[in-house]
Amino acid sequence: MKQAQPDRWGLNGLLITSVLALAPHASRLPVWIVLVCTGALAWRFAIDNRGWHNPHPIVRITLTTLVAAAIYEHYGTLLGRDAGTGFLAALLALKFLELRRWRDCLVIVFLCQLLLLASFLYSQSVGLAAYSLLVVVICMASVVRLNQPTGMALRDYVRLATGLLLKAVPLMLAMFVLFPRIHGSLWRLPSDAYGGITGMSEVMQPGSLSQLIVSDAPAFRVEFDGEPPDTEQLYWRGVVLWHTDGQRWVAGKAKTVLDPKLSFEHIGAPVKYTITAEPSNKVWMLALDLPFWAPREARVRAGHLLEHRAPLRERKSYSLVSYPRYNTGALTSAERDYALQLPDQVSARTLALANEWRQSSVDNLAIAQEALDYFQRLPFFYTLEPPLLGKDPVDEFLFTTRRGFCGYFTSAFVTLMRAAGVPSRVVQGYQGGEFNPAGGYLLVRQAEAHAWAEIWQAGRGWVRIDPTAAVAPERVQFGIDAVRRLQGRGIDLGNLSADAVRRLIELGWFEGAWRGLRFYWDATNLAWHRSVLGYDRARQERLLAKLSLPELSAAGLLAALAVTVVIGLILLALSMHRARRHDPAHAAYLVFCNKLRRIDIARGDTEGALMFSRRVAALRPDLQTPVSVITDLYLRIRYGGLAGAEPVRTLKQKIAQF
Amino acid sequence: MAAVEVPTAVVLTRRQLYLLPTAGGLVFSFLLAVLLLAAINYTNSLAYGLCFLLAAIAIVSMLYTHRNLHGLNVSLGPCTPVFAGDPASFEVCLDNSSESARFGVCVERDRTQVGRVDLRAGEQRYVRIEAPTRRRGYLTAPPLVISTRFPLGFLYGWSRRIQLPQRCLVYPRPAAPGPTPIAPDEQFAQDQNPRAEGEDFLGLREFRPGDSPRHVSWRAVARGQGMLTKQFGSGGRASLWLDWDTLAGLDTEHRLSQLCRWALDCEQAGLHYGLRLPDTQIAPALGEAHRRRCLAALALFPGQPQ
Repeated sequence: MKQAQPDRWGLNGLLITSVLALAPHASRLPVWIVLVCTGALAWRFAIDNRGWHNPHPIVRITLTTLVAAAIYEHYGTLLGRDAGTGFLAALLALKFLELRRWRDCLVIVFLCQLLLLASFLYSQSVGLAAYSLLVVVICMASVVRLNQPTGMALRDYVRLATGLLLKAVPLMLAMFVLFPRIHGSLWRLPSDAYGGITGMSEVMQPGSLSQLIVSDAPAFRVEFDGEPPDTEQLYWRGVVLWHTDGQRWVAGKAKTVLDPKLSFEHIGAPVKYTITAEPSNKVWMLALDLPFWAPREARVRAGHLLEHRAPLRERKSYSLVSYPRYNTGALTSAERDYALQLPDQVSARTLALANEWRQSSVDNLAIAQEALDYFQRLPFFYTLEPPLLGKDPVDEFLFTTRRGFCGYFTSAFVTLMRAAGVPSRVVQGYQGGEFNPAGGYLLVRQAEAHAWAEIWQAGRGWVRIDPTAAVAPERVQFGIDAVRRLQGRGIDLGNLSADAVRRLIELGWFEGAWRGLRFYWDATNLAWHRSVLGYDRARQERLLAKLSLPELSAAGLLAALAVTVVIGLILLALSMHRARRHDPAHAAYLVFCNKLRRIDIARGDTEGALMFSRRVAALRPDLQTPVSVITDLYLRIRYGGLAGAEPVRTLKQKIAQF
Repeated sequence: MAAVEVPTAVVLTRRQLYLLPTAGGLVFSFLLAVLLLAAINYTNSLAYGLCFLLAAIAIVSMLYTHRNLHGLNVSLGPCTPVFAGDPASFEVCLDNSSESARFGVCVERDRTQVGRVDLRAGEQRYVRIEAPTRRRGYLTAPPLVISTRFPLGFLYGWSRRIQLPQRCLVYPRPAAPGPTPIAPDEQFAQDQNPRAEGEDFLGLREFRPGDSPRHVSWRAVARGQGMLTKQFGSGGRASLWLDWDTLAGLDTEHRLSQLCRWALDCEQAGLHYGLRLPDTQIAPALGEAHRRRCLAALALFPGQPQ
């Protein structure tokens, strides 16, 4: 049985562990839970360090009941990721108010580890992993302190815990690699398990948001086989929007009704690439215009789209082949109907404008060119902070505000095209990307989200037209960052030469260095995600094949795991044993003892060096001087803090002469 | 004196050490199971990592627990004889002759912890254990178990039962002090004053204030032995025989107890006494060595004590 009252420093260590385990959750938890936690932990600190008392059991029980009820009230459940985290946090804090025994301390340790795990359900970054190692070290140091409160200095506990951790890491890696992985979950996950994953929307509604939310979060990364295409070519299609009510653009029925096909006449060389998509909680699979075939796990949708069979809740890699130049051929009548749909009210002047172009042009492409000229000729501005629009956003944008970003231009453009009788549609996806030289891949961020149009032209099929590029070619040529930089300096887009733009967006040394660091950090993250977070059954099989191990069943893997752990443990034990025995002074002293044994003076098993030296001196007074000199030197080296190689050498010399 | 090598010490080796999880260790493995289930269910790599890290730490701590006991030298110090009924106390010596410290080393007897020590590198510490005595004769040291829960408290490492050969000599319990004369020797009753002076030189003892300077052994002073006082007594009268045969009518154990009481009384009274047992005879003398000799003879008197 343990001592009744756990050690104060051990408890303080547990307090630190708990604060660290709670910290990643602080911003996600409701404020009152954070307050309860802070209060309870502060109370505990006062109990341990200021002589306060434990709260009365009635206070404790009331508080616990209230908090549990409040959590249930707040989340509507006690299960699931969010409510579970809140519940664990409150339990941990309140447990500190009834901490009497070793058993209670174990419960704290238990809850801290569960909270750490809960934080992994929100983020699995490299930083959080490193942070968790720190928490585990402090936790283990506290456990050692509670279990062994005497005989060690405070820093020894941290040293011991770090030693434990370092020795444990190889075993952990072996377990990580060899533990059999299964597909899917053991039971149905609560619905909030994947909350908070945001990305491009399936709906386009220009004029409803006064500001485009520009997020630097990565959307996906692309590795090209060979040279990547030019930035202007990097149109990543996600969804095709066919239907509009005048305000919103949605995929509509066309997505499911139209005949899905990928086949088209391709021209020129293909681009081969692998996309690693961040979890989007959406089914779309981004592809470069135009993907030629679908990966196994994808299904094809009308509009040359690829969809995953289930929402992407985890990082997903897939390889594709696209042809930047293509001819999609003829249009079916159903496609034509959907591609010409117009809202009930289109303003008279919009219709008039379209009609005018229809009259003056020879084909659909010429009509599109008229529209682009119109955007260039009149004072249209590309801005990330456009004014809000009212009931007829297209009319207002075309004739009044004339300020907007990609969605505004595309929406107006497609409406005009349809009014002019040109089959057209909106494509949403991403445009551009930032090449990361450190990782050799293209990073496409949420900020690169883009919308453009496609019109149908007899003999050419669907043709991509980007109305934004007519107004702000910098957006397409130099990317969204360039736009942000130029606009940050108050420079209007569309009137500058490419060289001027390049000069203007050139980075200072600090920004350049920062960018370089960011590249390395992102490349590290990708490697981390690939090798650690994305480690699944398929990767496990590949790795085992690479190690030329036979394909193993789950039981086989577990057996291999057990064998590896046992071997690792034996190796570790041997190395620890050797480290302990390797003491040159002691070895020299044993030589000395052996010399004395030859003259029939044996050191007893329990006889200390000093006692032995006295006994030798009594038996052989003639040896008294050398024996006492050697013993004294030996004792000083081993226990007297006499360090360095020189004393040991002297000791060896003296023993050799003896 | 040349040490007679008897295996009086045990060095804990691998074969003598065992390891099992404690209750806390079982709780910890339950935690690991929970973490593993969560990791599998959420297919969360870091959760796997955390679970495996904690498991690996627990596994590695086995080595620490084992190392905390492995190579520890356990021995028993000499044991002072006691009278039956008084507890015999043994000094367990834990000698850490290795270069690393050992922490929380427990000495257990009958599954009860009787001592807990931390040993720095090269340090020796003693733990006193007491054993009750009921009968005279030799009492073998109780079997010991050396155990530890270091470092995390999740594992309990313990040694096989250590039975060291040390024995404690247990004298018969002295009979209750009573007016009963020691022997039908009237000379005894006549003079019980230990300070009584006679002509016979009995020996030297340390000088005490109040001693006559005439009795100081100046020769001893000259030899540098310090102030010693010569003791004199009336030798003829002090030579008592504590005789087994005078106690006819009592059973063996009672006779031994009575003889023990008399020996103690004589010793205290400073009277020369001899011991006469059926097959042993110890010539009259006085002093600690003599006392021990007599009491040992009583303790080891043949016959099965109850």
